[in-house]
Amino acid sequence: MYYKFMVYMALSVFAVGLIYTVFNWFRFSIGINVKDVSPWGRITAAVRGISSLFNKEKLSILGRVFVQDILLQKHIKKQDKLRWIMHMLIFSAFMFLLIFHALDKIIVTPLHDRFYLMMNPWLIIAGLIVLAGLSISLYRRYILKVPRLKTSGMDLYTIIILVIIILSGLFMEITKLSSYEYYQKIWWVHISVCLFGLAYLPFSKMFHMITTPLSLLCNAVMDENSDPANIATRQVMELDACTHCNTCNQHCSVAVAYDNLGNDNILPAERMSFLKEYVANKKISAKKLRSIQQGIYLCTNCDRCTVVCPAGINLRELWFSAREELIQRKQPVDLMMTPFSYFRGLNHQRIDKEKYDLPLENVLNVLTADCDLSAKTLDAPIVLNQEANEFRQAMGISERTDTFSYCFSCENCSTVCPVVINYADPQQSLDLLPHQIIRSVALGLKDLATGSKMLWNCLTCYQCQEHCPQGVKVTDIFNKLKTVSIEDHK
Amino acid sequence: MMKYTLFVGCNIPARIQQYELAARSVVDKLGIKLVENQEFKCCGYPMQTSDNKTFLLMAARNLALAEKEGLDMMVLCKCCFGSLKKAAHQIQQDPELQEEINRFLAEEGLKYSGATEIKHFLSILYHDVGISVIKEKISTPFTELNIATHYGCHALRPSDVTQFDDPVQPSIFDDLVKVTGAKSVDWALQLECCGAPLMGVNDTLSMDLAEKKLVDCSRAGADYVCVGCPYCQMQFDRVQNMMVSERELTDEIPSIVYPQLLGLAMGIPEQSLGLGMNMLDITTLESFIKMETEIDSE
Ligand code: HEM
Ligand code: SF4
Ligand code: SF4
Ligand code: SF4
Ligand code: SF4
Repeated sequence: MYYKFMVYMALSVFAVGLIYTVFNWFRFSIGINVKDVSPWGRITAAVRGISSLFNKEKLSILGRVFVQDILLQKHIKKQDKLRWIMHMLIFSAFMFLLIFHALDKIIVTPLHDRFYLMMNPWLIIAGLIVLAGLSISLYRRYILKVPRLKTSGMDLYTIIILVIIILSGLFMEITKLSSYEYYQKIWWVHISVCLFGLAYLPFSKMFHMITTPLSLLCNAVMDENSDPANIATRQVMELDACTHCNTCNQHCSVAVAYDNLGNDNILPAERMSFLKEYVANKKISAKKLRSIQQGIYLCTNCDRCTVVCPAGINLRELWFSAREELIQRKQPVDLMMTPFSYFRGLNHQRIDKEKYDLPLENVLNVLTADCDLSAKTLDAPIVLNQEANEFRQAMGISERTDTFSYCFSCENCSTVCPVVINYADPQQSLDLLPHQIIRSVALGLKDLATGSKMLWNCLTCYQCQEHCPQGVKVTDIFNKLKTVSIEDHK
Repeated sequence: MMKYTLFVGCNIPARIQQYELAARSVVDKLGIKLVENQEFKCCGYPMQTSDNKTFLLMAARNLALAEKEGLDMMVLCKCCFGSLKKAAHQIQQDPELQEEINRFLAEEGLKYSGATEIKHFLSILYHDVGISVIKEKISTPFTELNIATHYGCHALRPSDVTQFDDPVQPSIFDDLVKVTGAKSVDWALQLECCGAPLMGVNDTLSMDLAEKKLVDCSRAGADYVCVGCPYCQMQFDRVQNMMVSERELTDEIPSIVYPQLLGLAMGIPEQSLGLGMNMLDITTLESFIKMETEIDSE
């Protein structure tokens, strides 16, 4: 009685959880382009999408992915043999246990009524295989010193719940032959843990046994021209498909920035964990927002994560959507003024013009706010105070930036600058010209030196520096000024 | 046999695979061996204007990896090249900084001492292989083909750091183009910036600069622009393609990466040079190849 009650409870929690999680895929979205499609519209779009798959070409793609990436998991094998062995041990033996043991009454007993009698040794072997796989997993996560491998509570839960299920199962099978009393006790432990794992499955990383294959299949038949509603749904689902395996962290091009800055959100796998929470609840603290904005913008869009992800997640597009949404929030993102904006610029046609310009204007306004030229009339005295001195000293420390003092205002730098040449009224459009910026540094006028539009529109083409007769390292100084300003605005 | 470790950076594998493909085909035919290193990461270029220390660490880790292999680096991208050079320069000038960086690198068992030379692909062809050796490999030279060479800022300048070529009157790229039988045209804006560094920051300005250059080289009679950097290539290929619709650009002039040009003249098949992967059509380039009979009669 009690047992049946537990089974039905677990099954109903599982079913409700499953429906809830799946419904969230259609309810939530990330990015700025999809907001106006209702969940119902997204569901019908998905149905349309799925029904378009019933042709020979698409089915053969799906079939191939099913065999190669889901059954044989070639993606993992390509990354690392040991991890592949680990997962194949867990996957194959657990599937075996699931079919021939957990579901035996449904699947096998009807075919062969005394089946369970001959199963015992096989169950023990399968259990040991799963345990071997789990040991490798623990070994990789806790003993092998893999750089930038992060283990979250959920990763640990996933491994531990399986360890308990298998260990209790093994004891159960063994005591079955010796002590009925013990057997009964352990049977309860085993059943409780299994049912708990089942009930909690839709909310845990174990859900990846459904979502990871789904992500692999979806991405095999979808591309950037697919229905935007379906892409939006897929992107939320992909957050559930991530196994936090850390492959992307290991390959990420900017991982060294993480090593130095220590912001977890720079690492793609950690960003995935963040986004998973974020889609469900978009109210986050200013501090958290700053950290995720830096993390998501500090990405060279090198595609490496997308290429290596064993769950087949299209991270490129996911970053694109998430980045757009996160930079539209009030908090300005200073990294937008650096070449990290390159990929966004290349894709400006994909973003509504107004929304494209807004965050750029925001950050430029903040960075140039102090540059008030109207206050600097010819007869206004220039104050040489402590602050001015400190600024000059900071500029003088290194990186060849101390050369500003050699400037004799010949204006060569401004004459050769292609940005200056591009404007009919450079002074108006750019606030200051390059030689005036150098002059401002010499005078200790930090507000002008770091705040002109000229500075933030400098190409770093080094024409000015190359042509300065006095050896002033103009561009190096500009780069330093930008870092000073970005540091100040943090 | 010449041997280098290949540094492709972030842009090429994601967006301009044809550059790497063509470079590999050409280098292979010239008998150069390339060693892979999966551990290379971003050169640090986009970090330079926001955080100098992080920039240096990103660059230095790559240099230390190459050093560990005991090989010089072949760099395809001029911005990668420039930032690796700049970082190396800065670190070497400051022993204290070098120590600090090495303390960081030690975590991964790496060390930077400056033993590895950072070389751009074009420099390797010009200095290490040599024009005369390349000339021997040219089997199907071009005729009546006018090329505008675009040098690219971050290789050329700051010249005291990059030491790529004479910053005012550079010549190595032109010589490399001439050896294929093509003519290198003179054009006023040759040494100017392509505008790529501002793409995403100020797109209008970025495209203004690209447009000026394209108009200028087209007026100078060039059939193609030729580049040795993925950023420049993107600017003159994908961004030019965008400008066609956004700005009604009329003087379309396609861009080609140098190893595609050289490869064709060396008789390497089109597929191994990724000609079809460019956004603007460059397959017409093949019509400039001298017919066999013309070669014989020379
Ligand atoms: C059906 C297809 C499945 C696919 C495509 C799949 C895919 C993956 C991938 C890519 C990883 C990350 C591998 C790594 O960390 O190196 C993973 C981890 C894991 N998978 Fe699966 N999985 C599947 C089914 C299962 C099943 C049925 C189980 C059994 C319980 C399972 C248990 C685990 C465990 C425990 C981990 C965690 C390993 C760790 O993070 O250290 N998976 N899976
Ligand atoms: S995004 Fe992909 S590669 Fe990265 S942790 Fe998740 S599953 Fe692994
Ligand atoms: S695309 Fe971005 S997140 Fe992905 S590996 Fe490259 S730098 Fe890292
Ligand atoms: S070219 Fe040199 S000396 Fe002349 S104004 Fe510019 S920085 Fe000063
Ligand atoms: S580096 Fe900047 S300031 Fe100097 S010439 Fe180029 S765009 Fe002008």
